[in-house]
Amino acid sequence: MAGKISTRGMSYAAMFGAMTALGAYIIIPFPLVPITLQTFVMYLAASLLGGHLGALSQIVYILLGIIGLPVFAGGKAGLGVLIGPTGGYLIGFIIGAYIIGKMMESRKHSGYVWIALSLILATVVIYTCGVVQLLVVAQLSLQKAITVGVLPFLIGDAIKIAAAILLITKIKSRIQIKKVSND
Amino acid sequence: MYNWGQYVPGNSIIHRLDPRIKILSVIVLSVFILKVGVNAGLLLSVFMMAVIFMSRLTFQRVITSLRPFIIFFILLFLLHVLFTAGTPIVRFSFCGLSITHEGLYRGLYITWQFMFLVTGASILTMTTVPSDLISGIEGILKPLRPLGVPTHDIAIMLSLALRFVPTFLGEIDRIKKAQMARGANFKKGKMIKKIKNITSLALPIVLSSFRRAEETATAMEGRGYKRGPRTCLRNLRMSSADYIALVLMVAMMTGIQLMAL
Repeated sequence: MAGKISTRGMSYAAMFGAMTALGAYIIIPFPLVPITLQTFVMYLAASLLGGHLGALSQIVYILLGIIGLPVFAGGKAGLGVLIGPTGGYLIGFIIGAYIIGKMMESRKHSGYVWIALSLILATVVIYTCGVVQLLVVAQLSLQKAITVGVLPFLIGDAIKIAAAILLITKIKSRIQIKKVSND
Repeated sequence: MYNWGQYVPGNSIIHRLDPRIKILSVIVLSVFILKVGVNAGLLLSVFMMAVIFMSRLTFQRVITSLRPFIIFFILLFLLHVLFTAGTPIVRFSFCGLSITHEGLYRGLYITWQFMFLVTGASILTMTTVPSDLISGIEGILKPLRPLGVPTHDIAIMLSLALRFVPTFLGEIDRIKKAQMARGANFKKGKMIKKIKNITSLALPIVLSSFRRAEETATAMEGRGYKRGPRTCLRNLRMSSADYIALVLMVAMMTGIQLMAL
């Protein structure tokens, strides 16, 4: 990671870190599994801030959890969660954010399809990381890990991605995010 | 917010340990508990009890910190009990599942490992002030600095984010009330309507947060904030107790490793 972040960029990343944390508390009741908004905020953070800052915002979020703020899904916190069975998803957030940000930066104007593509790709990465850690830590079989760790959330993710695409295009047309990557 | 692992003021020996030592110990313990067998696991649990005792936290408080995880404990336990192949003890004819000997053992073992993880992390956060945790994390990340990881920036962002959380909570509440005054209903209505209502919240919240972040950055620049080497109000310094704790941890882990418990 290049050490070229402006004060403004740091502030933005911190803000989205805090927002992701709050996203864990906004629970939309939905049949089977309730939806929380962490990934939704992560989509926004990465696509609005770009790769570096997007990933940094997720690092900030995870560190907030590690130092004990109950900001992980279901009011959890601490290093135990990161190392525990579900920690892979959190690591996936960082990588996913980086991917989204880089894909957005690669084009001057990203249309709906390009945004959708990057969000879906990031979501796949998050699940891959999540499932790998479920396999290793909870010692589940691949089939079991996918049954409990991926399938229940897919519908919620589709809704979140759709909402995020709308919101991202709306926000991008409304504010000009100042160049944040140089001092 | 849940009252999980919040700082409990105190002046015990665990409270006074260097945060870097505490964080590293938790990391090492979490890694070890996941790979060791039952004997070493029991040893580590006894060690954890001793730490709780030394930190003068009541056991009740530590147990309370496990509460948000109960559902997960149960789920994990059941998953292993019901889906592990082996000699069956009880068979449920209606769904073809059975409780096996191996499953029961595995379920108990893994659930207990997980309880250990949570307890360790909550002791860390219950005995360390958040600002010390931040400087501790910065200290631990320091070796990554030559690799180009902006450790200092990360620490600053962390404290900014800590400050933002309550501000945004207030902001969300304010915007929610404003939308309710305009007739939005977040409690009732069909699913689609509910989702629409929630998006009507998201846009103003994101925009106002951007404004806040912008103001904060301007305020920092206005006060002459500059990236680069900085000094600290309270420098972390290792005391003799920290070295003893470090040696103890290293000795215990090598012991476990060597004896292959």
